[in-house]
Amino acid sequence: MMIWVILMMMTALAVMAVLWPLSRAVAVAGQTDPNTQFYRDQIAEIDRDRERGTLLPEEAEAAKAEAARRLLRASGLKEGEAFAVGEPALRRRRAVSTLALSVLPIVALAIYGAYGSPHLLSEPPGAQLRQGAGNGAGNLDLGTAVAQIEAHLAKQPQDGRGWDVVAPVYLRMGRTEDAVKAYESALRYLGRDATRLANYGEALVISRDGMVTAEAQAAFQEALAIDNSSAKARLYLARAAEQDGQMAKAKAEYQAILSASPPDAPWRSFVQDQIARIDGNQGGPIQEVGERPDANAIAGMVQGLANRLDAQGGSPDEWARLMRSYVVLGQRDKAVAATKRAREALAQDAAGLRTIDAMAQDLKLTESSP
Amino acid sequence: MTRKIRTRKTRRLTLIAVAGCVLAVALGLVLYAMNDTIVFFNSPADVQAKNVAPGTRFRLGGLVKEGSVRRGDKQHVEFEVMDAQSSIHVQYQGLLPDLFREGQGIVAEGRLEASGLFRADTVLAKHDENYMPREVADALKRQGHWQGETHPPQQAQQN
Amino acid sequence: MLVEAGHFALALALGLSLIQFVVPLWGARANDPVLMSVAPTTALAVLACVGFAFLTLTYAYISSDFSVLNVVENSHSAKPLIYKISGVWGNHEGSMLLWVLILCLFGGVVALAKNTVPMRLQANTLAVQAAITVAFLLFILMTSNPFRRLVPAAAEGQDLNPLLQDPGLAIHPPLLYVGYVGFSISFAFACAALIDGRIDAVWARIVRPWTLAAWCFLTLGIAMGSYWAYYELGWGGWWFWDPVENASLMPWLAGTALVHSTVVMEKRDALKVWTILLAILTFSLSLLGTFLVRSGVLTSVHSFAVDPERGTFILGILVIFIGGSLALFAWRAPLLQQGGLFAPISREGALVVNNLFLASACATVFIGTLYPLALEVLTGDKISVGAPFFNATFLPLIVPLLLLLPLGQTLAWKRGNLLGTVQRLYAVFGASILVVLAVLAFTYGGPVLAPFGIGLGVYLVLGSFNEIVTRSWTRGKPLSVAWIKARGLPRSTWGTVFAHAGVGLVVLGISATAWDVESLGTMKPGDRIGAGPYQLRLERIVPRQEANYREDAALFRVDRNGRELGTVESMKRLYVTRGMPTTEAGILTFGLSQVYVSLGEMQPNGSVGVRLYYKPLVLLIWLGAVVMAFGGALSLTDRRLRIAAPARNRAAPPIAPVPAE
Repeated sequence: MMIWVILMMMTALAVMAVLWPLSRAVAVAGQTDPNTQFYRDQIAEIDRDRERGTLLPEEAEAAKAEAARRLLRASGLKEGEAFAVGEPALRRRRAVSTLALSVLPIVALAIYGAYGSPHLLSEPPGAQLRQGAGNGAGNLDLGTAVAQIEAHLAKQPQDGRGWDVVAPVYLRMGRTEDAVKAYESALRYLGRDATRLANYGEALVISRDGMVTAEAQAAFQEALAIDNSSAKARLYLARAAEQDGQMAKAKAEYQAILSASPPDAPWRSFVQDQIARIDGNQGGPIQEVGERPDANAIAGMVQGLANRLDAQGGSPDEWARLMRSYVVLGQRDKAVAATKRAREALAQDAAGLRTIDAMAQDLKLTESSP
Repeated sequence: MTRKIRTRKTRRLTLIAVAGCVLAVALGLVLYAMNDTIVFFNSPADVQAKNVAPGTRFRLGGLVKEGSVRRGDKQHVEFEVMDAQSSIHVQYQGLLPDLFREGQGIVAEGRLEASGLFRADTVLAKHDENYMPREVADALKRQGHWQGETHPPQQAQQN
Repeated sequence: MLVEAGHFALALALGLSLIQFVVPLWGARANDPVLMSVAPTTALAVLACVGFAFLTLTYAYISSDFSVLNVVENSHSAKPLIYKISGVWGNHEGSMLLWVLILCLFGGVVALAKNTVPMRLQANTLAVQAAITVAFLLFILMTSNPFRRLVPAAAEGQDLNPLLQDPGLAIHPPLLYVGYVGFSISFAFACAALIDGRIDAVWARIVRPWTLAAWCFLTLGIAMGSYWAYYELGWGGWWFWDPVENASLMPWLAGTALVHSTVVMEKRDALKVWTILLAILTFSLSLLGTFLVRSGVLTSVHSFAVDPERGTFILGILVIFIGGSLALFAWRAPLLQQGGLFAPISREGALVVNNLFLASACATVFIGTLYPLALEVLTGDKISVGAPFFNATFLPLIVPLLLLLPLGQTLAWKRGNLLGTVQRLYAVFGASILVVLAVLAFTYGGPVLAPFGIGLGVYLVLGSFNEIVTRSWTRGKPLSVAWIKARGLPRSTWGTVFAHAGVGLVVLGISATAWDVESLGTMKPGDRIGAGPYQLRLERIVPRQEANYREDAALFRVDRNGRELGTVESMKRLYVTRGMPTTEAGILTFGLSQVYVSLGEMQPNGSVGVRLYYKPLVLLIWLGAVVMAFGGALSLTDRRLRIAAPARNRAAPPIAPVPAE
């Protein structure tokens, strides 16, 4: 509502700017005529020039006569111009006032109505919308924004920047497979630079629920080949070593990262935790690298993995990871159910069944146990 | 009085004559330069279709063929410029523009040799995030090869 | 909310401009001072509205309000503050808003010049000015609206084109626009004079400072843009005869002619009709430049046809204003009074020759810029008209002009004595020829034409200052007397001398490019490369990560004959958001010369392509332009140019009789 008052006040001020000179008396007519003034100045200058000796007396006389002639002509013109006064002038002024009062608001409102966004006036301002997009409450808006970008990309799939923008959003929304595809497109159209490759690898890792696959490893290695200072790529490669069971190598990598990174790097404490963890129990749940997602995000990822495995099936390792994730999250009943589904899905795969059994044993998830 | 009018007239005539001379010289220079210094733009398909004579200076535009870029020492570069129909082998020595890369559009200026090799002395890539020099984009559009970039390109460059 | 208020202010400015267009014209016709006095107040109100709109857009950029489409497309929250601000005009929509803001700013200054400009002239001028404002406000609101909103707001912006993230580009467009748009005032004054059917010396006296100010800014703007291209594009070139550059060169040439013809008109009351025509043509060329750059017609005739909205709109504006003003000229110019007489050999005659050559040179640039576009539209053939064309047409027209320049500057008004003038320049001729011979001998076997260029530059500089010497120094008198006399010369004389000497410096700088040395190489850390007397050693290549880009910086150590002179760094940058690579040239300045190094591609084996230039005296090119603009500014501060301000009675020392100036 406030904004409408402001807009009305602006309009009123604009109208005033037109009406104010109309309301003034004809005092303005008293202005000295610059034309005659100019020739007077010129004559004065000729006199000065003669005194200084830059003009010969006879030249000065001729110039002065010429200027004086022009001065006469100019003042003659001025006398001929009587300023309009009286009834017609009043009518004209009234017409102009009406014009200002009507045309100004109409033009301004019509143009603003046609090209502006007045509906936004009553809504919360843009800054709030933007903040909302970041957290859970803004998911709806984020969804529409993503839909818009998707519609744009459907028309112009070769717009690499669009893919680059949408990929991290997908990741945040838990659409990890889409994020991977988006990064692939961005890499194709914008080129393979280190940051993008590292982000791509990270998306791959998250989409495999934390597993640094060979594909992701290749991406990180390529990123490092371009820019060996990419902390993200090095962290994930360290983690890959850890996942491969090469604890010593992983630890060395982590320490190398630590020594290479500036004292205020945001990942320092995380890397120190990792080293401490390797030094300590050499086990425990592996956490996400980088910005550690909160419990909700983990739950979402686990749910994503479960959905995928239910729909498309998966490797024994992936099933095992799902079981383990449920246990970590404290959802033993779900873990038991997952074990059961895994056994059904891998019925043909003897080796796979053994993996599942081993994991179930590890986690004490045997069906016989209560 | 008549003398004054006559001087006014003769002076005006001199002025017009001098102006005419200068303008004639300018026109002559322009016509001469038009014959001599103007460079045509061709895509690889145009080069074949028009049978461009070897030794003619022209601008060659198209996409850098994927996997065709070979670098020698002393910054010798060889690559192929292609369009939908054909491709031409290009040799160049010097620094390539920032936006030169495989699969992107470029314009090379130079001469065609009898062997069919194009020896370029300038390689341009448009400073524009779409990586597409306009002649190349137009040529490819003519061939129905490229649909990208429908939003008006930004020319904030220098103005 | 603020953004919407800014948008509304723009709509309001449109309404106000309409009134500012209609009412003063009506008032001037009916000779009603009250109606005419509406012009200044509305002009100020329009300025307030457009200024407010511009501020709100700037605020949206600074606060990274990604609910504004324009901000999303051209900004990024991680961008440094200065580029957030310069991003406002680093794009089409914002730069058009800046264009209109400057237009209104000039209108506001005319509105405030109440006591110096005759009322009718002021009313008519502001009305013409308002017509231009209306056209461009409509253009902005309908086709290039910077206030379009994005619902819902984007999470992050797409960043400004990295090439534009540069301090040079932050100030280049405003300078250039002040130049372009400044000529709109000359145009508006010319149209006002035609509408009124009256033109006299006071007109020239009023118009001249405006034209001169616009010319100074345009000169600086072009120089700035040229220097930017030199160090940012990484090619070591400073002028490319690119259509975008030509678009600013054409108004500059016409504006230079205009600055000179207004002198004739002010001093001698001659060349009136031509001056009016030139004022119209100069602004028309500014409009044409805006059209070429803003419609996308240069980027692609094709894209112009596909997205015709903007292009056709500006084309419409172009046709209406150029066609309209020329029609007005054809209709009213015969009514104007004949000007004064002068002999062909006189200062006026020399200035006519100046105008003639500048206009012809401008015409060749015009043809070279537009011919390819016309040909493409007509036959579909694509040609490129580049440096060879302009070297073959532009230079032969400019060189005679430069040769005549010191002569014209020395000639007397009304009736000159050619022989006497030449005699006064004997020393200058002699010195210049000596310089040519010395340079030829010194650089034997090098470029042949360049020494003559150097000679021409020296001739221009000396020829300009010769005026001061001959007017203040007499044989046998001590130098201190000459100095006092020289200081007593009017500032407009000094301005002329500096501006012309600036031209000479530019010629020197350009001629010296013939001695540029270029070397290419692929280098690993520890390798050496040389150019001219300088040797560079690649020390190391360091990767770096900044807020919005990543770069590989190569550090070079520079020495000359084994003596170490310092280090220079050249960078290969990648702007992450746009995925766009750029090269940052490393430049080390020694006096007026520079060593310029730029990086090529990083090779997989750790080596890097390097292009190295030694550019002797290259800084003179831009320094000369700055000196030219300084001369213009000096001339502006001369009291005699300020309108109706009573001339100061300075106790001037007696001066030997010289031609009236």
